[in-house]
Amino acid sequence: MPESEAIRLAQSGDAAAFERLYQLHNRRVYSLCLRMVGNTAEAEDLTQEAFLQLFRKVATFRGESAFSTWLHRLAVNVVLMKLRKKSGMETSLEQITEPDEDSGGPRRDFGSPDLRLSGSIDRVNLQRAVDQLPPGYKSVFVLHDVQGYEHNEIAHIMGCSIGNSKSQLHKARMRLRELLHEAIRSKAREERKAAGSSSGGED
Amino acid sequence: MNTHYFHPAKLTWKSAGLLVPAALLFSAIPASAKHVEKHFKVDSRPMITIHNPNGTVTVKAWTKHEVMVMADHSSSSIEVDAVQTGNRIDVVTRPLSGDVSPEDVRADFQINVPEDAELQIHNDSGAVSVNDVLGDMNVDTVGADVGMEDAAGYLTVKTVGGSFQCLRCAGRIEVSSISGNFRLIDSRTYYIVAQTSTGNILFDGKFLPNGTYHLKNYSGLIEVRFSPDDSFDLSATSLKGKVNNEAKLTPALHPQYSAPRYGNSLFGTFNTGRAKVDLTSFDGTINIVKRN
Amino acid sequence: MSTISCNEFSNQLESWMDGVRQPAAEAHVRSCASCQNVLSDLEAIHSSARSWEVDEVIEPPARIWASLRLQLEAEGLIHDPASLSHPSTAIPLAGNQSHGALEHQVGWLDRIFAGVARPALAGSYLVALVAVGVAMSGLGSQRGTDDRWTNFTQSTTVPLRSQLDNVEHAVFSFNAADPAVTASLHKNLAIVDNYIVLCEKSVNEEPGNEVARDYLYSAYQQKADLLAQMTENGDGR
Repeated sequence: MPESEAIRLAQSGDAAAFERLYQLHNRRVYSLCLRMVGNTAEAEDLTQEAFLQLFRKVATFRGESAFSTWLHRLAVNVVLMKLRKKSGMETSLEQITEPDEDSGGPRRDFGSPDLRLSGSIDRVNLQRAVDQLPPGYKSVFVLHDVQGYEHNEIAHIMGCSIGNSKSQLHKARMRLRELLHEAIRSKAREERKAAGSSSGGED
Repeated sequence: MNTHYFHPAKLTWKSAGLLVPAALLFSAIPASAKHVEKHFKVDSRPMITIHNPNGTVTVKAWTKHEVMVMADHSSSSIEVDAVQTGNRIDVVTRPLSGDVSPEDVRADFQINVPEDAELQIHNDSGAVSVNDVLGDMNVDTVGADVGMEDAAGYLTVKTVGGSFQCLRCAGRIEVSSISGNFRLIDSRTYYIVAQTSTGNILFDGKFLPNGTYHLKNYSGLIEVRFSPDDSFDLSATSLKGKVNNEAKLTPALHPQYSAPRYGNSLFGTFNTGRAKVDLTSFDGTINIVKRN
Repeated sequence: MSTISCNEFSNQLESWMDGVRQPAAEAHVRSCASCQNVLSDLEAIHSSARSWEVDEVIEPPARIWASLRLQLEAEGLIHDPASLSHPSTAIPLAGNQSHGALEHQVGWLDRIFAGVARPALAGSYLVALVAVGVAMSGLGSQRGTDDRWTNFTQSTTVPLRSQLDNVEHAVFSFNAADPAVTASLHKNLAIVDNYIVLCEKSVNEEPGNEVARDYLYSAYQQKADLLAQMTENGDGR
């Protein structure tokens, strides 16, 4: 059943149409939720909530945007609400996509020597680092770099401008770079400490 | 009310001493509280049936050839009755009118029985506790938790959401639930069939020679603990979950077993395979853990 | 060409990653190891993130849809619940029995539920289930292909499912005297319904999987038992 047909039938409450829409989009939505919250239990709840909201509102979908964009906007909103509740913040979508120096905007460390990350990034480290990003950075990074959305689509989903989307993405990457370097340095310190204690103390 | 009891001028130390506990008694128990106590002489292996939709049911064994039923309830909209017919005692809580609220239907029972008594208990919400009774038992609840200690006989427990715990039980146990958890601790049973859909099952008891132990759930955790001197054939299958095993198994000694073709399976013999242990889960985790 | 500083390069980094490269920035990168490192890191982060999604296929668990389906039904958003569980609504019958014979046996299941005491009821359902299965599929002789297993399973579960659905609709109007008991029964009924959906899915995917089929039959037995209990509670017994 093509998506357009499934949408039309779902608007009349057709059960098979609901299931078809779920089959078409569940992996992307679940992946988005999982990358954003970092654990399967919450990702499952958020996926279910996103589809529930979608199916409750499907009758109002008029085709002004692509269905998947509409769905992912719902999903991102559901996730951001959850993240905001967790952090105790009550900020608007626009606020969390604006630059926020206090929440860890990228520091400028150009000119200083540093090891390259290439070859040192594994999925566990990357997920841990993504988990530490502010919600706005996290959303744009997951949508663009992980899921492959273009900035114009992200702007629709997030309700921000294309320029804002690009800016948030750059800041997210810079922040991730710092976090990943810190993780490498921290691991090296632990290894030196372990080696030092097994050889009987510091020189 | 006897007014002299409260006249300050007539108080003596003796009456004051009585006054305090009496005041406590009167303040602790509502005026409408009902207490019922009945005693029945019985022969060996009496049958006791208890139908109590809401409240606690506590059954204990004693050495007398007698059944004692004590019940407390606060509502006058219900009646608690205990009737003897031959060697059978029927205990029931019943509403006296059609529009009784759930809180009114509550009655709490304390029942003492000979240790060879057989029990049939129906209790939807509340709690059921049975201690030291060695006869066969059938317990049926919706949400009430069921606890047994030092029980024996053929124990059949069915709950919808209530949990089941059995400490130092012997005999046969068949327990089923939809969402209740089971804990079978220090048991000496030779036959266990335990099935829950979403609950967890813990077995930490003895695998008796020639005993059979079937533990099954849909999701959740199944954990069995064994000692180095236990001896059992093991079949553990989780269709979509994991099986974690600490028992050193050898290929199965007994030919009637065949390893399941689907899911994550573990199959083999520990020591000489005298008991049979069958663990199945749909997508839960199965742990076979060595006791410290 | 005039050179730019590292800080000036950093200001152009965002557009560089977007594909817009000024000649001065290109010249700077060729000669500055530090800025090369930064660039390399950002590209590594970007490509790791992309491969994250591509290499790691994340399949959401089936229980999400099962739970969602129940919620949609409960909210009345779905108008045809029966079609959700089955690949098609036309279920072929196995064996040589006619449709009339099936109806006769389904009617027998109906009469069982009319007034049999609960302890016997679940047992009756299991016996009926096995009897239908044996009569219609020739248990001893039909083994082997996935299609036959699918037909066998569906021929045993379809009539039972239909009967249970009818009883479930009737039972929904019952309430036990105690709302907590009613709520517990309804909640556990939802658990069992979820369990049935997932078992059916598993059996459809692996028709020869006897463990999954055993779980499915077990789930139906639990549901029958629970519905009987709800009927009893509703009658105030």
